[in-house]
Amino acid sequence: MSDRTAIAKGSFPSDFKTMNRAIIDIFPLALAVVPWGVLCGSLAINIGLTPLQAQLMSLLVFAGAAQLAALTILGAVGPLSSIYSSTFVISSRHLLYSAVFRDHVRKSSLGLRCSIAFFLTDEMFAVTCAYMEKTKSFSAVYALSSGITFYLIWNISTFAGIIAGQHIPNLEHLGLEFAIAATFIAIVMPTIKNRSTLIAIISSGLSAVFFSLFIKEYALIAATFIGMLFGYLTKDKENIDE
Amino acid sequence: MNDFWLALLGMTCITFSCRYLFFSKTVPFELGPKIKRLLSYTAPSVLTAMWVPIVFLGHQQTNSDFITSPFLIAGVATVIFSLKIKNTLAVVMFGMSIFGALKVLF
Repeated sequence: MSDRTAIAKGSFPSDFKTMNRAIIDIFPLALAVVPWGVLCGSLAINIGLTPLQAQLMSLLVFAGAAQLAALTILGAVGPLSSIYSSTFVISSRHLLYSAVFRDHVRKSSLGLRCSIAFFLTDEMFAVTCAYMEKTKSFSAVYALSSGITFYLIWNISTFAGIIAGQHIPNLEHLGLEFAIAATFIAIVMPTIKNRSTLIAIISSGLSAVFFSLFIKEYALIAATFIGMLFGYLTKDKENIDE
Repeated sequence: MNDFWLALLGMTCITFSCRYLFFSKTVPFELGPKIKRLLSYTAPSVLTAMWVPIVFLGHQQTNSDFITSPFLIAGVATVIFSLKIKNTLAVVMFGMSIFGALKVLF
């Protein structure tokens, strides 16, 4: 019964296969994001947001790093401008993702383009690109299926964090943020393939520690800019990019 | 917390715009190779700017010593492990296990 409806919706049996593939591919990455979602939910409750507000953030913004940075700033009663600017800096990497998908997506309907954009995350981009390389073609079904799977897990774990945050005090002292550190280390380390990326990472890391000790609210932005600039200014021997 | 709704609205618009911008039919320009190169450092830089303070300054909030901090030890172990193993989930699980074990020990 459920099989028949899925096929009818996808209109081709192969779409159903693609959907399955997408869900299987993104699942490990979605699992890794669970502690992070829990942290986002509980931290939101902890700084005084209502459960509805906390959930809406994950439902509408759907950007873990930006949400966490914003919650930290909201908790410290920092200015709106600082929230907006850090959201923009953290999200600016999505500009690149959107530029990469541009040619594949541009002729699609407005609704489809908006949907793919809304569900575009680091993880969805990573698996969709890998699938694109393997099959030599972009699949909107694949992109949407992996994106929506990730969205559901992200919101369920935020919800779990909201419930846990109301009942377990000091949840954020358990060290859930270490899951973020572990995830980012796992994503960043394999991307170091040339000298300029290495320089970008080292300079961004060093300045992040330095700025965190002095200008906490702008530490993330300042460190990111320094990393980008130093990476850009470093000449790679192979120069694949140019 | 009145600022919350403004923050939410702004953040929703900013994150969506960044994801949608180049899908738009009315955006005629392409990103030049220089801008693309600059942006390619955004992801590694922003992710590093987030994990490094957790690993190296995490001891501050748990009031433990820098050297025996579970954040530091597990963080460094995760970095070393990630250089050997390329599987994201395996690296995350490894890091979390080390961190959990250290939390129980200290």
